Amino acid sequence: MPMSDDRHEDARLETFFEAARGTPPEPSAALMAAVLRAAEGVQPAAPRASLVARLREAFGGWPALAGLATAAAAGVWIGTALPEAVIGAAEAAYLVDVAPELAFDLAGDF
Amino acid sequence: MAMPFDDPDTTPDEALLAAFAAGDRTAARVLTMRLTPRVLAHAYRLLGNRAEAEEVAQEAMLRLWRQAPDWRAGEAKVTTWLYRVTANLCIDRRRRARGGSVPLDAVPEPPDPQPGVAERMQMRTRAEALQAALNDLPERQRQAVVLRHIEGLANPEIAGIMGASVEAVESLTTRGRRALAAALGTRKEELGYADER
Repeated sequence: MPMSDDRHEDARLETFFEAARGTPPEPSAALMAAVLRAAEGVQPAAPRASLVARLREAFGGWPALAGLATAAAAGVWIGTALPEAVIGAAEAAYLVDVAPELAFDLAGDF
Repeated sequence: MAMPFDDPDTTPDEALLAAFAAGDRTAARVLTMRLTPRVLAHAYRLLGNRAEAEEVAQEAMLRLWRQAPDWRAGEAKVTTWLYRVTANLCIDRRRRARGGSVPLDAVPEPPDPQPGVAERMQMRTRAEALQAALNDLPERQRQAVVLRHIEGLANPEIAGIMGASVEAVESLTTRGRRALAAALGTRKEELGYADER
């Protein structure tokens, strides 16, 4: 067979392979479900995650948890440092403790 | 539980298999979605029968799940292993007497997209003609041609799957192509080649 015929034949054959690649059999839902069921039957149980890991997941992973920790630290700082720095004696006179029984006096422990 | 991989879509099969063995349910789902269609397609091309191909695909995937805890990292690609297992299951099945197989379910036809329906039909006709011609090839030729020209694997990987030398694979694909060209050449008109020289 001359070379050009060979190339022509190759190109023609390639259209058939292309057609096969372009029309793959779609797996039925029953097959996919059966494969997943088999996986569940064989798969070992995952080790139970630690409390820290579960909390981390619940809050959306480390980045979210880091943000939460920063916010909490800022809250503590504001709660302890800000009144003395910002609130003067005049403003302090207007502060009313609405639930003194819920307060815990850290300073009293020292 | 926490996923040990960032993006399941780009995580290599092997890492997902390790996660599966560690009990990760997401890994099972991703591997099922990714590999079952490939295994099914390969089984179908080797068997030429949808219902039987589904049974083989189910069995091959079950073997993968069972193999997961003992998977030796770096030895073989997951897909290479699956192609080999699938081919062996198909060969066993063809060697046994046909019949007695129960289809999993009615296999739905792939949806017909609205644009290019004529082209789509022609593609399907060609794919069916190719499948018919593949079915008549000797087993090893069929396997080599399918792996090379439909799955698109390189000859060294095919050699690994088939347990043959690269030269043997080249010879098998060459003979297979020649036989396919001869078989398909007799159907030019109905396959849309009537106008070609």
